[in-house]
Amino acid sequence: MPLLDAIRLVKRFGTVTAVDGLSLSVAEGEVVGLLGLNGAGKSTTLHMLLGLITPDAGQIRVFGLDLARHRTEVLSQVNFAASYVDLPGVLLVREVLDAFAMLYALRRPKARVAELIELFDLGPLSERRVMDLSSGQRTRVQLAKALLNAPRLLVLDEPTANLDPDAGDRIRGLLSRAAEENGSAMLITSHNMREVERMCHRIHFMAGGRIVASGSAAELAGRYGAEDLEEVFLKVARG
Amino acid sequence: MTALTLPPLSLAARRRRVLGVVRRDFAALRRSSVRMFEILFWPTVELALWGFLTVFLQTQRVPFVASFLIGAVLLWQVLQKASNEISIAFLEDVWSRNLLNVQVSPLSSGEYLTGLMLFALGKVVLAITVMAGLALLFYGFGVTSLGVGLVPFMGVLLMFGWSLGLVGISAVLRFGENAQVIAWSLVFVAQPLAGIFYPVSVLPAPLQTVAWLMPASHVFEGMRTVLSGGPVPWERLAWASGLNVVYLAATLGLFAWALGYARRHGRLSRFGE
Repeated sequence: MPLLDAIRLVKRFGTVTAVDGLSLSVAEGEVVGLLGLNGAGKSTTLHMLLGLITPDAGQIRVFGLDLARHRTEVLSQVNFAASYVDLPGVLLVREVLDAFAMLYALRRPKARVAELIELFDLGPLSERRVMDLSSGQRTRVQLAKALLNAPRLLVLDEPTANLDPDAGDRIRGLLSRAAEENGSAMLITSHNMREVERMCHRIHFMAGGRIVASGSAAELAGRYGAEDLEEVFLKVARG
Repeated sequence: MTALTLPPLSLAARRRRVLGVVRRDFAALRRSSVRMFEILFWPTVELALWGFLTVFLQTQRVPFVASFLIGAVLLWQVLQKASNEISIAFLEDVWSRNLLNVQVSPLSSGEYLTGLMLFALGKVVLAITVMAGLALLFYGFGVTSLGVGLVPFMGVLLMFGWSLGLVGISAVLRFGENAQVIAWSLVFVAQPLAGIFYPVSVLPAPLQTVAWLMPASHVFEGMRTVLSGGPVPWERLAWASGLNVVYLAATLGLFAWALGYARRHGRLSRFGE
């Protein structure tokens, strides 16, 4: 049974169909990438899978449970980070992590926060306010928050969008390591093709709210006669 | 479920999530010198304004129970803070672009609102403690002069304030951030109608009908009765409590509807942009 199973999801905003009959699954421990142009429906899809947007049609089952009916049970084993979401700026890094550790009802919040502070090298920053951190440092805090509950499913919406190549590379390394340690599955959107190539086992291309191509990076490159994923992206995007 | 987390539907997990909201909001309060200052500043300004007016009226030998105004200012703060604090605590999540993080956590709406209400209660207690001390120090007015009615008076106002705050939050969920002015100002619409500084009888007849539908009016009338030496009007308090139960249930329903609307129309996602 897949960890996440989304079946024929539809979402319309007025006359615009943002997601049009999309089906998607993620298996235990699998890393799945969702690619597409801006407005392809990636974020709407992720937000439906997280319960932030109610689909007009279709069904979402996570860990075998209907998301709409078992929201708390499902979300206690899921986590999320995105480049466009922030954390309470006035709080210290440690306070933010402590607060979210309580929201995820961790058994031993202090010990887990200490572990993640060490994993993401946040020790020197733990007594600083979030608003005083750089983009890269904030992303590290966001990702530490996203791993607090050792989620079985981690949803990341352009997690490294605000980072320079060096910081992005470090974050990818940390994420892969942390996900491997936790055995987490990941669903990622990104405009960084190298990131997707490096991290994802399976990739879906979206256009007009539908999945138009799927496979591993190598399979997609072979199918489109492309040298790399970036070329595949351009070919798919330009029809 | 991983061994790392408590069973998500257990009482222990629910309690931890609610306390997480309360603890987070108090930590944010502690870290914000402006918000800490505000606990002292506005109540003191209001107390000074109405306190000096009371002193002036006393010198003019106005046939008037002078403590009415100071008592009214103190109880008005309960209503205003209960309403504004839950709205502001919610808006803080919007302003800091943290609302999506909260909404994708296992925190249920009921737990979130309980956390916000407890935080608002804490802030009301802080503000009233400060104001009561100042009222005693500068005007010799002791809150204990409200007798055994003090706690139920405050309880009724607290609940009514929460209901008004929920209307403000619901407006933001329904109409977006532009509606935050409603969250800030709704409680002030209640001010002229609730007979805070004058008896409800001075209002035109149609407005008196509206006033009696507000739990706060019964509290302020009751306060004047007690300060005039009368007994605590328990029947008024019972009526106000009944109204409160209806309004709280209705505004919780309104919140649930507004949240559902926001989810159906993708408005929650836009709070993250």
